[in-house]
Amino acid sequence: MATAMQTQPYRGGSGYVARSSSSGLYDVLELILDKGLVIDVFVRVSLIGIEILTVDARIVIASVDTYLRFAEAVNRLDLMATETQGLPEMMDGLTEGGASSKTKGVLQGAKEALFGDEDEDEDEGDKQPARRRSSSSSKSSRRRSGSSGGSSKGSSKS
Amino acid sequence: MARSSHETARYVYGVVRAGTGGKPRGKGIDGKPLRIVAADRIGALTSEVPVGPLEAGRDELLTHSRVLEQALKRGVVLPMRFGVVMPDDSTIQQELLGAHRERLEAQLDEMSGKVEFNVKAIYDEPSILREVLAENGEIARLREAVAGKPEDATYYERIQLGELVAQALTAKQAADEQRVVDRLAPHALAVEVGGALHERMAVNAAFLVDEEQLGPFDRALDEVAAENGGRLRFKSVGPLPPHSFVELSVEA
Repeated sequence: MATAMQTQPYRGGSGYVARSSSSGLYDVLELILDKGLVIDVFVRVSLIGIEILTVDARIVIASVDTYLRFAEAVNRLDLMATETQGLPEMMDGLTEGGASSKTKGVLQGAKEALFGDEDEDEDEGDKQPARRRSSSSSKSSRRRSGSSGGSSKGSSKS
Repeated sequence: MARSSHETARYVYGVVRAGTGGKPRGKGIDGKPLRIVAADRIGALTSEVPVGPLEAGRDELLTHSRVLEQALKRGVVLPMRFGVVMPDDSTIQQELLGAHRERLEAQLDEMSGKVEFNVKAIYDEPSILREVLAENGEIARLREAVAGKPEDATYYERIQLGELVAQALTAKQAADEQRVVDRLAPHALAVEVGGALHERMAVNAAFLVDEEQLGPFDRALDEVAAENGGRLRFKSVGPLPPHSFVELSVEA
């Protein structure tokens, strides 16, 4: 996952919003696994692979590792006001601060490796989990349909 | 996909008004043709699947979504959650359409002419870290304190620094989420705030928008995105069927 994916074409008035009329895999997970009508537990068949998908899609981290990465990120941050900066670094700083930043934070790469970049949808992070099919265990995803609707998303993941 | 069962069941994508919008176009899961199983004025959008466990792979998930997006172009559709399979037509007619007719018809009426947009906003990390540094003296001080020193010697300071940064980001996330939702909500009929899925995500919310209001909604989105240009990257997916705004209770 070395490259920053710029997959969504920018359109629309301001060019600040990446619009898509169709959901990618990343959006699909959240929308169709947690939302929509369910009528009863017994009609929802066992799904192969679903547990892996949902778990991978929502990693919540609050750990020493996270803190250390944040610390590293702020430490490496080029502050525009630092007088020891050479010209190239100054330029970098200005570009990064600008409205159309194309640069990638030091830490960002590492986190994309963890989370997948939410922009990439189809092509990177989600692919492997989605393809990982276990033939031995078909985990049945049982949900109480009575608790459907609204914000049932947190069921086991958040 | 080696599904060797000759018995079939019905995968259900969603509920539509029967007899409107013509025959469903496109293919369902595994390339199977789509068919509407109707009972009176409402119908279930279905395709055949083998009996037994259903693979929830990339193809199946995306197909579920595509079928519903296509259906939306022909008229109102209430999306089912992924993975609803019923044994045969009569079970669909009785236990889905018949048993829940009142709720389904009410929601078909309610959702008519309305679409869902999913809006996410992601922080540009360098920009947001600069903000955090500029606004928080303690973080700036700690950063100075560990700068240029060996990692081993500053282990605990760096954990403390990182934790403060994480806390500052959490506070920022809540404020930004509120701000963006407040700007878009006036142009929507309903809002479902999903919460950030990871630490760089500021906003993750679904908006139910009247088709008549698409212009104003889009403009508001462009405006709030432009104001946050450089620090937040916005992504909007839609128009989608109202996944986040339908519900059915089995106890009904």
